[in-house]
Amino acid sequence: MSKVVVTGLGLVLANGIGVKDAWEALIQGKDGSGEVTSFDTSPYKIHRACEVKDFKIDTTFENETPAHTIHKYAYSAAKEALEDSGLHNVAKYDCERFGIAIGTLAGELPPFEYLLRNSPDEKANGFDMNVALTYPPSSITSLLSEDFGFEGPNMVSLNACSSGNHAIAWAYDLLLNGKVDVMLVGGGELIPQTEFTHFHNLKALTPEKCRPFDKERKGLIIGEGAGIMVIENLDFAKKRGANIYAELKSYGMSCDGHHMTAPHPEGAGAIRSMMDALSVAQLSYKDIDYVNAHGTGTPLNDRMETMAIKSVFKERAKQIPVSSIKSMIGHTMGAASAIESVTSCLSIKNNIVPPTINYETPDPECDLDYVPNEGRELRVNCVLNNSFAFGGNNVTNIFSRL
Amino acid sequence: MSPIFLVGFRSWITKLSMNKKTVITGIGVVSPIGIGHQDFWKNLVSGNSGITPMESLDLSKYECKNGAEVKNLDPAEFLGRKGLRYLHKGTKFLASSIKLALDDANLNIDDEISSRTGILIGTSLGNFSQTTDYFHDIVREEPSELSPMQSYDVALNSSINYASVFFKIKGFARTISSGFTSGIDAIGNAHRLIQNGKADVIIAGGVEQISLDLYMIFLLRKMLSGSHGADSEISMPFDKRRNGFIMSEGSYVFVMEELDFALSRGAKVYGEVSGFGTIFAGNKKYDTGRRVEKAQSAMKACMDDANISLQDLDLIQANGNSGRLSDHIEAQAIFELFEKRGDEIPVCAVKSIVGECYGASGAMQTAATALAIQNSLIPPTINCEEKDPECNVNIIHQKQACKINTALVNSFDYTGNNSCLMVKKL
Repeated sequence: MSKVVVTGLGLVLANGIGVKDAWEALIQGKDGSGEVTSFDTSPYKIHRACEVKDFKIDTTFENETPAHTIHKYAYSAAKEALEDSGLHNVAKYDCERFGIAIGTLAGELPPFEYLLRNSPDEKANGFDMNVALTYPPSSITSLLSEDFGFEGPNMVSLNACSSGNHAIAWAYDLLLNGKVDVMLVGGGELIPQTEFTHFHNLKALTPEKCRPFDKERKGLIIGEGAGIMVIENLDFAKKRGANIYAELKSYGMSCDGHHMTAPHPEGAGAIRSMMDALSVAQLSYKDIDYVNAHGTGTPLNDRMETMAIKSVFKERAKQIPVSSIKSMIGHTMGAASAIESVTSCLSIKNNIVPPTINYETPDPECDLDYVPNEGRELRVNCVLNNSFAFGGNNVTNIFSRL
Repeated sequence: MSPIFLVGFRSWITKLSMNKKTVITGIGVVSPIGIGHQDFWKNLVSGNSGITPMESLDLSKYECKNGAEVKNLDPAEFLGRKGLRYLHKGTKFLASSIKLALDDANLNIDDEISSRTGILIGTSLGNFSQTTDYFHDIVREEPSELSPMQSYDVALNSSINYASVFFKIKGFARTISSGFTSGIDAIGNAHRLIQNGKADVIIAGGVEQISLDLYMIFLLRKMLSGSHGADSEISMPFDKRRNGFIMSEGSYVFVMEELDFALSRGAKVYGEVSGFGTIFAGNKKYDTGRRVEKAQSAMKACMDDANISLQDLDLIQANGNSGRLSDHIEAQAIFELFEKRGDEIPVCAVKSIVGECYGASGAMQTAATALAIQNSLIPPTINCEEKDPECNVNIIHQKQACKINTALVNSFDYTGNNSCLMVKKL
């Protein structure tokens, strides 16, 4: 049975750009939130989000748009991951065996919103060639394939907040089935005003700090960024002497089949997703050292996730550290689970678990060890990473020390 | 025995048996030439085109007028009336076609199979136009006063979410977007997941809708037939006069099952999905010659995956969408790959009748292929009258009775994806 391993990482986050800075910020509990700058929030009750700050890129692309694009974030993180893995020059390999999968919720919506704001009268007037070239969403992976010379399978995963993990799962199967040698996987997201409004009007956005699992939690804070990793066949990695962060052991999927926006109240789908991941990896709940939670900070999600973790981890539930980096970088939607996959690998490499910040008041309904406010040094061999999306679309993956 | 042990045991068995077969047991069609696969097939073999001047968009200011729109769909017939007013066009297409496919397969997703059932749909843009409509409302109105129900069905993948909730699918829900190849990529991925034992049943296919947004994107890129000036607007794949594609819409889904599971419940089988291959060749750095090579690579990868030799292939269900360059690349790739048989192997281009429905196209072609295999009949490719020396392949102009054991479905995207699927008689 061949194995799939992680050999390169890249991050663009609200509290740090590049793996080194972002990881430093995460383990120190740096809050990446701030006032929204990319659009006017005066018509709303909420004005904060986790925007990427001081982002610069050393390349100019064809068809530049005035707004930021996912392509730029994803390119930057992908370049970092490829350099990290030693695969920045793929020309010497069989490029048809190099593929790309990127998850996103809204795709390149913000550049389009930018144009539509200027033509409120008639929608069609908002179109120009820049928009035509950044849509459909699959332009993200086509552009990245061209940027890096990949000629294998590529796709964009449109699975709302579990998009990143779906992309990783899709790539994992291709690697296991021997169809490819290397996959560039992850997720990227911007903050579209459309999604901000959507969450705002569903009353899902917190009016203050985002405090996952806290009794006073009032909702999520929206975020942007990208998390990309290079995963490859173990034999291929060994042959070229690559540095290995972790093994991608398995993924599990499930669907609540319950409601368009609310999770299943007892977390039935979340439990199935975690159990599926454990059983495919042939691991027991006793083997997991850390749970990288979905932990959005909404009252419903965090209660549901806690119940599901208790059901899966039984007597060990209260001993396993469970933390949510969304407290620091916001809910980056389609990118979230990919970013969390990257940080799961960093936890394994560095034996440190990032904290859940802004945690003050324990909630009797959420009574696990959420690694409150301070990162923790800990031997981490095996991480379970959850993602639960609207529509009850759940994907869990497991990373372990090789 | 604990349930956990059973789950573990099943996945262990799964790992041992990687060679499961995938079969198509139900077909659901919502198309411009008919609702239900029976009408779709009848009009396809008669060559009754679904292309007319478009009614759903106001195109008075623009040059291209023709499209293939879905007409006469009454979603209440399939979904009931409840909640229907919150749903958008694409969601109605998808959910109706799933109901049709499940009825066709005589399958009820009950508690026993729901957690072994997944949904895997390809779409290039999903409900994008409703997302931008919603944003347009945000710009013009007080955003905090918009009702949450206005955004109930506006995510790119919300039609798939709705379907998973409506049909109580509990295995998984996945939406794939890879441009024009989305639909075929979804079917190929579903095949892989069934092969790997990840599910017993997968509802797979593609959905797409005509919208102003897409129209503008294709118009600006000069990809539509008629966008090059005074040329007539007609879908004529591989014809010398071809000048771009005609937009289409619809939803084409399949009930795909693991063979033993299908047989154990006595399901009828249309055919087997036995191979898949995909290769990328972008339109920026790659010249025509290199793109021809890569299209061949994709066909070859699919045939190798299905273990079918060049001599054994009976039919090519072509991507052929009337695009100037894309048809040339495809024809050249077929001609070169099949060597002696290059100008003999039958080629069928159903987009001449149904138009180009982007992310749903691969699924539409797969439906036509499964029905062709079942009926031993190749549907005609219409409007291909002036032979193009650049497209030296055997286009089937009139419907043709013919035993089909193996058929290759080609789906190519203008930004670079080339994906191919093998459908085979069981």
